[in-house]
Amino acid sequence: MKQNVYTVAQVNSYIKNMFMQDFMLQSLFVKGEVSNCKYHSSGHIYFTLKDEKGTISCVMFAGNRSGLAFRMQEGQQVVVGGTVDVYERDGKYQLYAKQIVLDGAGLLYEKFEQLKAELEERGMFDSCYKQPLPRYIKTLGVVTASTGAAVRDIINIATRRNPYVQIVLYPAIVQGEQAALSIARGIRVLERFGVDVMIVGRGGGSIEDLWAFNEETVAQAIFDCSIPVISAVGHETDTTIADYVADLRAPTPSAAAELAVYEYWQYEEMLREYGSTLDRLLKNKLDLYRGYLENLGLKLKYLSPVNQIREKRTYALKLEEQMENAMEAALMRKRHLLEVYIERLKGLSPLDKLKQGFSYVSDEEGRTVSTIEAAETGKRLRVHVRNGIIFAKTLGKESVEWEQKRRN
Amino acid sequence: MGTKKKELTLEEAFEILEETVSKLEAEDITLEDSFKEYKQGMEILKYCSDKIDKVEKKVLKIDENGETDEF
Repeated sequence: MKQNVYTVAQVNSYIKNMFMQDFMLQSLFVKGEVSNCKYHSSGHIYFTLKDEKGTISCVMFAGNRSGLAFRMQEGQQVVVGGTVDVYERDGKYQLYAKQIVLDGAGLLYEKFEQLKAELEERGMFDSCYKQPLPRYIKTLGVVTASTGAAVRDIINIATRRNPYVQIVLYPAIVQGEQAALSIARGIRVLERFGVDVMIVGRGGGSIEDLWAFNEETVAQAIFDCSIPVISAVGHETDTTIADYVADLRAPTPSAAAELAVYEYWQYEEMLREYGSTLDRLLKNKLDLYRGYLENLGLKLKYLSPVNQIREKRTYALKLEEQMENAMEAALMRKRHLLEVYIERLKGLSPLDKLKQGFSYVSDEEGRTVSTIEAAETGKRLRVHVRNGIIFAKTLGKESVEWEQKRRN
Repeated sequence: MGTKKKELTLEEAFEILEETVSKLEAEDITLEDSFKEYKQGMEILKYCSDKIDKVEKKVLKIDENGETDEF
């Protein structure tokens, strides 16, 4: 019996080759508990996966660290995705990890990412499909469980903001096997009923609890719904497929109610404000025109013939007064002049001369006798003196040169 | 828009009100147009308040067949 003898290297290489040809070993997920976990300074991570029946050594090379989103710890239940291969130097096979996620949640997360990528690829998250929410709604549809915090929060907040909005609830199963179908059915029922906006959601919970909102059935129902849908699943930090496909994502059911329902009192206030703005504007306009009118009235009055007549009359009165004044002034001047003449005449009066001892001589006919020629001898003369007339007779005449005599 | 259209939404109504206000604010609007705009604005305001029926609503529950019932 002739036996072939192989080197160790040959055997290991042969086995390695077998592993590499095995389709399953090239890509598989293994779940187990982490033990002997070592983060090497090179960036590689060495650990062992174990369960009740066995162990397998694992390594995650530094280059694959992006496949691990958390810090691995002893005792954690994880799912490791990678390749099983032979390490020829030690003659050992091990799991070369490309991806490590926590079990349970981890797997769901995997499915979530997968569906998300797929739906995104189909364009279901595209913003061009997002419908705007009507601001003023009359009917609000709600798809959620009829018990629990979510429905209470939505009803409380919606009624507080606006008691006149009709809320229509579709009591859906939001958790478990039938949840996705129930939610999808609820969306269709409310769409048929004809609400203005609908909120689809539930309160917080574990990723398993929220899972229905990560199912394609729900995503498709939201996408197909002709009425705007607000998703409101869990808390702020929970993001589901429903959130991506909804027309609007609300962080919580309460927030969804706030986004969906307008505040009635604010609305009423707005109406009032519009009313008073309109009133004010019209009043302004009227005041403006009244002002114009008044102005024009004044102008017209100013230009009216009555006014012109009055003005002319005033002018005439003024002229009359001026004339009277001028007349009076002229009279005064004349009267004054007269007085001056009277004074001067007084100075020239013959009577005064008579008082001083001079006399005035006239003939019988009253002609002034101021020369000797005017008097003939024997002729009667009248000598006017201060207090009467002396009748005299001319006895003789003699010529005298008074001026010369005086000169002598 | 003096004739009320049944399909006028509140959003549209508010848009019209905005327009009315800016028209009334304009300096060069005639008095006649002012009255027209004001009248229309008031009609729309009335329409807005009439559009909301101010009756407090009970929450309704709806089933698969579209039947509603008080919640």
